[in-house]
Amino acid sequence: MNILDQLGKRIIFFEGGMGSILQQNGLPPGGSPEVWNIENRDFILNVHRAYLNAGCDIIKTNTFGANSIKMHGEHYTAKELIESAVTIAKQAVTENGHGLIAIDIGPTGKLLRPLGDLSFKDAYEAFKEMAVTGQQAGADVALIETMSDTHEVKAAVLAIKENTTLPVFVTMTFDEKAKLLTGGDIPAAVALLEGLGVDGLGFNCGLGPTQMKAFMKELTACCSIPIVVNPNAGLPKNVNGQTIYDVEPEEFAKEMLDIVMEGAWIIGGCCGTTPAHLAETVKVCHGIIPVPIEQKHLTVISSYTQAVQFGKHPIIIGERINPTGKSRFKQALREHDMDYILREGITQQQNGAHVLDVNVGLPEIDEVQLMQDAIMEIQSVIDLPLQIDTSDTVAMEKAMRIYNGKPLINSVNGKEHCMHEIFPLVKKYGGVVIALTLDENGIPETAEGRLEIAKKIIDVAKTYGIPKTDLIFDVLAMTISADQKAASVTLKALELIRDQLGAYTSLGVSNISFGLPQRENITSAFFTMAMQNGLSAAIINPGSKSMMNAYYAYCALSGIDKQCMEYISVYSGQTVETVAAGADVPLDEAVIKGLKESAHAATQKLIQTTEPLDIINQMLVPALDVVGKEFEQGTLFLPQLLMSAEAAKAAFEVIKVHFEKKGQTQEKGEKIILATVKGDIHDIGKNIVKVLLENYSYDVIDLGKDVDPNLILETALKQNVQLVGLSALMTTTVVNMEKTIRLLKEKAPGVTIMVGGAVLTQEYADMIDADFYAKDAMRSVYFAQTFFGKE
Amino acid sequence: MNINRKEILRYLGYRGKAADEVVTNTIEDCLNELLRTISPKCIYQIFPVTFGDSNTVTIGTITIKSKNLSQHINGCRQAAIFAATLGPRADLLIQKYNKLDMSKAVILQSCAATVIEAYCDEQQDAIQAQAENQNLYLRPRFSPGYGDFPLTYQKELLAVLDCQKRIGLTVMDSLILAPSKSVTAVIGLTEEATTCHINRCMTCQAKNCPFRKEE
Repeated sequence: MNILDQLGKRIIFFEGGMGSILQQNGLPPGGSPEVWNIENRDFILNVHRAYLNAGCDIIKTNTFGANSIKMHGEHYTAKELIESAVTIAKQAVTENGHGLIAIDIGPTGKLLRPLGDLSFKDAYEAFKEMAVTGQQAGADVALIETMSDTHEVKAAVLAIKENTTLPVFVTMTFDEKAKLLTGGDIPAAVALLEGLGVDGLGFNCGLGPTQMKAFMKELTACCSIPIVVNPNAGLPKNVNGQTIYDVEPEEFAKEMLDIVMEGAWIIGGCCGTTPAHLAETVKVCHGIIPVPIEQKHLTVISSYTQAVQFGKHPIIIGERINPTGKSRFKQALREHDMDYILREGITQQQNGAHVLDVNVGLPEIDEVQLMQDAIMEIQSVIDLPLQIDTSDTVAMEKAMRIYNGKPLINSVNGKEHCMHEIFPLVKKYGGVVIALTLDENGIPETAEGRLEIAKKIIDVAKTYGIPKTDLIFDVLAMTISADQKAASVTLKALELIRDQLGAYTSLGVSNISFGLPQRENITSAFFTMAMQNGLSAAIINPGSKSMMNAYYAYCALSGIDKQCMEYISVYSGQTVETVAAGADVPLDEAVIKGLKESAHAATQKLIQTTEPLDIINQMLVPALDVVGKEFEQGTLFLPQLLMSAEAAKAAFEVIKVHFEKKGQTQEKGEKIILATVKGDIHDIGKNIVKVLLENYSYDVIDLGKDVDPNLILETALKQNVQLVGLSALMTTTVVNMEKTIRLLKEKAPGVTIMVGGAVLTQEYADMIDADFYAKDAMRSVYFAQTFFGKE
Repeated sequence: MNINRKEILRYLGYRGKAADEVVTNTIEDCLNELLRTISPKCIYQIFPVTFGDSNTVTIGTITIKSKNLSQHINGCRQAAIFAATLGPRADLLIQKYNKLDMSKAVILQSCAATVIEAYCDEQQDAIQAQAENQNLYLRPRFSPGYGDFPLTYQKELLAVLDCQKRIGLTVMDSLILAPSKSVTAVIGLTEEATTCHINRCMTCQAKNCPFRKEE
């Protein structure tokens, strides 16, 4: 039987629990169920037999945890366990005369970076081995289950689809608030999985049928593919210290019937369910005609936590992560200053952006690598969906691959070669793509011409299996200073696309005013007109008050913003023209008191009249010294020390921008490498030291956390660095600190090493041969000053 | 949840001194944001305990060689293996402030360290209530890394409770728990009607730990 042909014609039944049955029959807590495939194969065979006899269509191989990461160092390899599991399943199916075999793929058991230490690539390789072994041994479909992290599930789906021909079903585990462990909601998970082109998706484990039933409405509201539901036999209960599941077969079957009536096409069970549960469920549900799937035609992108749907209100795409015309940003890219990029992102989020554009293209940098680094960094701290903005298709593909969600892609256009490059990527990884209405002949002068290109793009996309809903048309805003008709053509094109194609639109709005004075007047008025003509998304600077004013006002006026709730929440309590916060506090006082805004404002004032170096040496450094001394004396504490450091940082940022504007480069201080050692992801101590050292103008090369000793060595040698600071939090990672020190002493004997971290002591530091033990963050500053002969 | 503000200040290095208004307010802001963001989870299971030679103790199927743990649960015939986590969102939030504002990052870090303990205390109350039905009382939590209880047992403790699947708690190769704001512990069940008679710090070997409570 071909499973995909059967879907929708009748209800399909997965088998129920396996691990919980094994535990009731002697598998000790913490024991590996997969080992029974070899050591107790008849038992596994009998469970499969019982499920097939109960009427199940698809049995799940006993391979949930049979991946090379979990099985590392165990008696049997993942491959052995999978091969025997599939062989047992085949025997059960052959004997029974019916049934399909799903290679069952559970999570790796580790968290992916940056939360844990598993790389996306290593997760991918583990899943690949499972799927390939499973198919070779005779599995018919793949079931990825019990996933609670969208990033891990993406690795699994790609591994299966790229290396096997198996149909792929994915069930994820949500908590009672309908959230994944990493915070993702149902629409976000659906956007990702539909984008990746899985054959069915849904829920398993964690909850019982009653709780899953309650989530069916939310799922069916956004899902347009077959739904799979494999609940536990109720919520786990703790009775006398033991975990039990107590929903009986009859009750289970009754709830499963409701789930089928809500739209599930494939049902089965998970922990605590037995052949009796499934027999009853099959009895109750087998005659039901599956509820037809309604295509939702949603245009939706997602991050790891949330989905953003187009068409409800205009979507604000923050444009600030882009070097075009920004010398400070270019400098950040050249210096691989991810913190600067992240702050640009967070600021835009705070200013109301719904999506962030990410463009890191500069001729002199490795865009392919930097784009991946930027995406990884941004998605580890900001939960907005991202727009991958690059003309380099290699960078685009690599970014789409590691992106934790369904991205917005910028862009495709009507040129044949461009469509044939971009559409296969959109089809494979999922995404909504911005389509510029231009082609080999340039930008049509008329709205009708742009409409024609849009139609052509839709037709070509269709040949790749990409629906119109995954396209957003940028009908191109051109400056009215060159041709005053430009605005009306663009506005008309917006209307045509909306009315004739029923498609969504976007614009890089600010182009409209290029070359004119006081551009925001024109841009914001045009923005309002464009929204009135159907604009679905705007690429703008959310930091621009006039643009956001136009946006909130439009939403209130058009009734999109119900009861003007959003308008009121944004503007009530805001006084018109607030005085720049604390503008009159002198810089040194602002730093000592830790007032960020005041320090920023004071520096902006000072820099008009004072040399930057004088500001640094005569005001900032003395103020920092005062704070540092008080910290040493115990009259001022870590949060205050850092508030002062942040205030000083704000002042330095003004000075940096000043230099950039004048086209000068600021003289850099001595280089210091900082790293949290291999195996350790607690980097807060290192980050404290970093902000303080930067305050004292050192050029800190931050290698991050979980850093390989060789990378530290290579960086020290390549960049000729004399001082290295290492941090470690745990006794188990101090071992790696010692290894790093040994490597540096051997291969780069000129390098001096200072160390710090919660478990370290002077004795410990001496023992591992560190040159200096920094008891707290200020000591590392003092040591650096002594080391470089400043004090 | 009963969150001890003094504990937060202790983690921040205040050594019993009071914080100024700005820091006090920031702590409250951070606590609010943290509590809004996280969804803490915990799990436990009770196992029989037997004591072997040379400072070994067997809890369920795990045999642990640790003099301190053996002493700590001495006389208990049962013990709970317990795990709790604030979940990945706490780490992500702290990570965000590491990039945005280090003073808030350290405050959030201290808040999270305090909240996980408070959460464990709260959950432990539920176990206590259950134990009281059998006239049993809880010894304080004793975690891998305390005294001579090796961190290498993290893997087994997590496996016994099926922590990855049930509460999303994992351990890295370096034996650090991920998500980082998490606790695993052994809780002895004793017939002696004692409440927390052993201060956690007093059984710890890290004598120069800056957070050590000397009362």
